[in-house]
Amino acid sequence: MLGYLAQRLGMMAVTLFAIVTLTFFLMHAVPGGPFVSERMLAPEIAAALNAKYGLDLPVWQQYLNYLGRIASFDLGPSFKYPGVSINSMIAAGLPTTLRTGLLAVICVVALGVPLGIVAALNRNRWPDTFVMFVATLGVAIPSYVIATVTLYLFALRLGWVPTFGLDDWRGYFLPVFALSGFWISFVARLTRSSLLETLQQDYMTTARAKGLRPGQVLFKHGLRNSLLPVVTVLGPVVANLVTGSFVIEQIFALPGIGRQFVLSITNRDYTAIMGITIFYAAILMVMILIVDLLYVWLDPRIKLTKATA
Amino acid sequence: MSETVLSVRDLSTSFFTPRGEVQAVRGVSFDVRPGEILGLVGESGSGKSITCMSVLRLLKAGGRIKSGTATFEGQDLLSLDEDALSDLRGNRIGVIFQDPMTALNPTITVGEQVIETILRHRRASRAEARARAIELFELVRIPSAATRLKSYPHEFSGGMRQRVMIAIALACDPQLLIADEPTTALDVTIQRQILALLKDLQQRLAMSVILITHDLGVIAETADRVLVLYGGLIMETAPVRDLFARPAHPYTLGLLGAVPDLRDDTHRRLTPIPGSPPDMAAPPPGCPFAPRCPHAMRQCLDALPPLFGTAHQSRCWLHHPEAPKVAGLNEVAA
Repeated sequence: MLGYLAQRLGMMAVTLFAIVTLTFFLMHAVPGGPFVSERMLAPEIAAALNAKYGLDLPVWQQYLNYLGRIASFDLGPSFKYPGVSINSMIAAGLPTTLRTGLLAVICVVALGVPLGIVAALNRNRWPDTFVMFVATLGVAIPSYVIATVTLYLFALRLGWVPTFGLDDWRGYFLPVFALSGFWISFVARLTRSSLLETLQQDYMTTARAKGLRPGQVLFKHGLRNSLLPVVTVLGPVVANLVTGSFVIEQIFALPGIGRQFVLSITNRDYTAIMGITIFYAAILMVMILIVDLLYVWLDPRIKLTKATA
Repeated sequence: MSETVLSVRDLSTSFFTPRGEVQAVRGVSFDVRPGEILGLVGESGSGKSITCMSVLRLLKAGGRIKSGTATFEGQDLLSLDEDALSDLRGNRIGVIFQDPMTALNPTITVGEQVIETILRHRRASRAEARARAIELFELVRIPSAATRLKSYPHEFSGGMRQRVMIAIALACDPQLLIADEPTTALDVTIQRQILALLKDLQQRLAMSVILITHDLGVIAETADRVLVLYGGLIMETAPVRDLFARPAHPYTLGLLGAVPDLRDDTHRRLTPIPGSPPDMAAPPPGCPFAPRCPHAMRQCLDALPPLFGTAHQSRCWLHHPEAPKVAGLNEVAA
């Protein structure tokens, strides 16, 4: 187990290195830079800025400098906002993003899975039809439409929730709903199809033939076996949700990192792009590792073994 | 003790599929007597498994019992409410399924799968249930029982998994054991062990067993009495010796002709039965075997024959007093 973990962490470091390298050179391959804008800077000022941030050096030199810096967990200063470091930028935006993201994750699990179960158990009857209808809408309607429509309805017309910000606890309702709507629908559909398949298994008949009560049959024998695909998607979903969404953070004016990420690209804020990419990649890899560990707990047939090269 | 353990009368079960009603079982009646092994034999689709799954109301989606009764310990299983029926399942009636690879839950230890059955039906503590599970594993001869309780199904061979299934089925000392093709998915050598085990347990525990199989060899070795099913109907029923010594139905005769005889050195060719089983979505009005029967008469295509005889019964017009005599076919005692 420890050997496996060590190996996985080693592989994650290698992957992260590849991501850093690739992003760095791709980013620099795109014409333009942080200090290029419609309003031309005086050549002396531009040169001074480039020299200050080391952008006058050859790209490989910049790359090595950057590697040296992130090796000590310093993601560097922002090129766009003087005096702001990327570390502090992430630290400032993360709590907001994390809070809404985790609430959204809870909604996905707490609503998606039970809805899927209800649908599967009532296959082709009205609860199933209803859940699948709503879930299809949820998958089909983009989050910004959900966000604007609910904003208009519940904040503007009915005044039940504030239109922006998270100062009031009611402010969480709409962004969390807009964030999780798609994934609730997705997970409900997945749970339904997975459970329907499990219900057909021979061991489910065995469980009933043993005289077990319907609840035992469903929860002890059925659910665990049908949750494997759900857990698989949940890993990337969690990574996705806790790293924020530009659209949602923009519409609800939330000071999260999802917005920072997109702004950093349009700003050509090199260190911000790199920093947030590394941050997202790291969270994704950690989530995938957690999913792999959960597999073993859910399905004893899966064994963690070190890859033998 | 009453004369019969289970008494099935006029059982009909259909599956409702997109292409129409498939009449899997069409009016089957039989009794299971105390302490006997009743063999149900027939090819795939003959209705043998569906008959037993109907009795336990464990039909897969689309299956519906249309008529009949199944009396067990004074109660009709087919009209009992679900709660009362589940009190009997796994308790008074044990079931073993065909494929031990898929019939055990892959994510739960085999011990827990036995223990949960005991805890469902008995007032027992976990420790008592565990002790009973070890006892059961020893009964079905799983070596080092106590440690194997913690194993998962995939850590067992097919034969061992079937022993686990048997242990589960016997967990609460059932009066009746339904074994649905218990050896079909196993190697031949393992088949013999499992059959010997079943027969031994049946005698020691004085249970009645319904043994479903398509293998006449298994029947000959294990069963006391046999029902031959075809097209959802009982075609012939007889004590096992009678069935092999004096087969009365052309279908049974056909089945026996398709079994190799190792002692026969005349190099006799096996005789397959020509044709294929009837389409149960549109069963023929007459005898379902008539289109494949070498002795079929006009009568056979038009009208379904009744079961002739008493102890040894056969559903064939040739047993009618006015029917022509056919060589090789035995009479049923009137």
